[in-house]
Amino acid sequence: MPMYQVKPVSGSHVKTDLPTCMYAVPNVHALQNGEVEPAVKALEARQDEIMRKLYELKAAVEGLAKTVTTPDADLDLTVSSSSSLSSQSPTSTTFRGTTDLDALLGKVTILKLDLGALRDIVINANPAQPPLTLLVLHSVLCQRYRVLSTVHVHSSASSVPPQLLSCLGPRHPDSYARQMFQLGFTLIWKDVPKLQMKFSVQNMCPVEGEANVARFLFKLLSPYPSDPAVATLVDSWVDTAFFQLAEGSSKERATVLRALNAALGRNPWLAGPEFSLADIACYCCVLQSASASSAPTNVQRWIKACENLGHFGPAKLYLK
Amino acid sequence: DGEFSAKRASTALPRCLLLPLADNKQKTDRVLVRVQDLIPEKADQLIWLRARVHTSRAKGKQCFLVLRQQQFNLQALVAVGDRASKQMVKFAANITKESIVDVEAFVRTVEQKIESCSQQDVELHIERIFVISQAEPRLPLQLEDAVRPDGDGEEEGRATVNQDTKLDNRVIDLRTTTSQAIFRLQSGVCQLFRDTLTEKGFVEIQTPKIISAASEGGANVFTVSYFKTSAYLAQSPQLYKQMCICGDFEKVFCVGPVFRAEDSNTHRHLTEFVGLDIEMAFSYHYHEVIDSITDTMVRIFKGLRDNFQTEIQTVNKQFPSEPFKFLEPTLRLEYTEAVAMLHEAGVEMGDEEDLSTPNEKLLGRLVKEKYDTDFYVLDKYPLAVRPFYTMPDPNNPKYSNSYDMFMRGEEILSGAQRVHDAQLLTDRANHHQIDLEKIKAYIDSFRYGAPPHGGGGIGLERVCMLYLGLHNIRQTSMFPRDPKRLTP
Repeated sequence: MPMYQVKPVSGSHVKTDLPTCMYAVPNVHALQNGEVEPAVKALEARQDEIMRKLYELKAAVEGLAKTVTTPDADLDLTVSSSSSLSSQSPTSTTFRGTTDLDALLGKVTILKLDLGALRDIVINANPAQPPLTLLVLHSVLCQRYRVLSTVHVHSSASSVPPQLLSCLGPRHPDSYARQMFQLGFTLIWKDVPKLQMKFSVQNMCPVEGEANVARFLFKLLSPYPSDPAVATLVDSWVDTAFFQLAEGSSKERATVLRALNAALGRNPWLAGPEFSLADIACYCCVLQSASASSAPTNVQRWIKACENLGHFGPAKLYLK
Repeated sequence: DGEFSAKRASTALPRCLLLPLADNKQKTDRVLVRVQDLIPEKADQLIWLRARVHTSRAKGKQCFLVLRQQQFNLQALVAVGDRASKQMVKFAANITKESIVDVEAFVRTVEQKIESCSQQDVELHIERIFVISQAEPRLPLQLEDAVRPDGDGEEEGRATVNQDTKLDNRVIDLRTTTSQAIFRLQSGVCQLFRDTLTEKGFVEIQTPKIISAASEGGANVFTVSYFKTSAYLAQSPQLYKQMCICGDFEKVFCVGPVFRAEDSNTHRHLTEFVGLDIEMAFSYHYHEVIDSITDTMVRIFKGLRDNFQTEIQTVNKQFPSEPFKFLEPTLRLEYTEAVAMLHEAGVEMGDEEDLSTPNEKLLGRLVKEKYDTDFYVLDKYPLAVRPFYTMPDPNNPKYSNSYDMFMRGEEILSGAQRVHDAQLLTDRANHHQIDLEKIKAYIDSFRYGAPPHGGGGIGLERVCMLYLGLHNIRQTSMFPRDPKRLTP
């Protein structure tokens, strides 16, 4: 309760407009009739647009930051691992792939509308070490998407045998209109020390090594198994295939074949009940190291099972 | 003058002499040897040689000469002894640089390699020396300076020669190893072009250069007075190439001068250059033309790579550059892909906008980064930026059946499928607001049955410049013509 109360001096509350701006200056950019020049308006509009995008970006980054620091990232694998390996894995690795290339590869353009231009994957390979895995993945990709495949010989490569020139199959009759294809697969035979893939020069650095390129291409067909244990198993078989089967000494190869035999004794396929990238990689490396005939029984059975799937036609054709 | 006889020689024949001009009166059986053939296996032979004096320097009782023939040179020496007197040594030392001499000498091997000459294992011991043609003592430029790379000159304080000086004294500049290499390579390009196309069944034609009307439209033509009227110098052989196709030659090419009166003083424009033009009729799709042209270009590049390595290395010594890379079959991108790549790199441009020169260069770098090739084709340009005789794309009216080819990010060829129907041609010309009277003869050639055809043309000098990675087209043009230069 206030001590002294004074009656208001003025009757009603007068509404006063308090100015927000101390000194007002006429608009320098205004034309004669006081209107603002359209170019300036456009500039303001663009700036507002940029600020809005910036806020959106900020919100997206904050969202990402949250997902990284949530408890899911520290998921305790030991609890769930044993159950998922033996049970049916929820995501199927058969090739019911998504046709939403936009989501997988990102939009081609940033500023303007998507022009529907061809997304070209460029692979530089050495003719002395043809990448069988990639040829197999290519034929699977062709079944899933409209792929424009071309083979080039770089000026640094001296002589390339003719079967390498036709390894991606016959020329597509529509190849004169590149816009009609979703994906481009350009194979360049070049004198490179290590196989290399280039996709988006601005956003990605080149991907090196047949194993890594195989992983990239496989992700276009179907996502990696969501169970991290299975995914790691697939990855480790892929690495084993490329480092020890393909490039290792005969002792290492023998060890790997024994490991393959043991794994295939428990499961029909290397990474469990489903066919995966691990099977593709190991099959191609086994074939390339010419140890197919001398492989143990489980491995031989597995090789026949792979061939029955029908994806491995080009690999066998090349090796003939 | 300079006449002298050896002390013990029984004849009074002179051993060194300035030969008079009229001396070429008799045909002799004398065999002149080439400098490049002088190798240790020829040691102790007595040979005759005609070469230029590159340098001559007296040192006491000896005179060292470097004799040069095109890109080869070797050391020769005159020593005071029973075969030569002091006056002869003095005579040899006083021979001016670039004079042409006939020399009779013994080929001798040397213990230490002569690093500064192309023939490093032998030298000549001169018995007789005659001057065939004497050069003036003060040369407008020194050959060593003309060949020195630009960077070196500034560092060591040695001179390099300005391009204008070189062009003003082209006769001397052409003697340098670099110029010899460049023009031999250029000759190779022309030769490979002719051979490849002849093998493909093309016929070489010659088209007139004095024409009655500007073919491409626009003001960039030279006018010549033609008796009572005036005529123009041909901007391109386009019109006549097409008339040959309508005349049933099916596949033609022509090599000849092209005159463009463009007042551009740039590193890649000349007012007169050599155009290598191709035109061919195709069966079903204009890509047959593109494939034919790119195959020819790839064969030219391969021919240069395989047969002209010495020339390429010689040029690289003065003008270092990356070797030229290409793909076979040639990379073909579409215009929309190129625009997408530029957008990704942050360039703002419209779908139907033409590529500006900086954008072309950036695109060249992006393509090089992704595909590692210096040569590629850009197909399906927007119709709005092409000339009126370009055939529109039947599937998409915004685009046309036209293409450009790029080397090291710079355009070397602009080509297209041509409109072969007189009515469509008239419509297109009206759309571009071109006076039909001026091109009446052109439209008439398609009225009597014309096959679908297309083609394109390249500039010889520009192709050489870009293949070698040089930076100015005047280096690959023997006697260049530009808005500021009319001689030599």
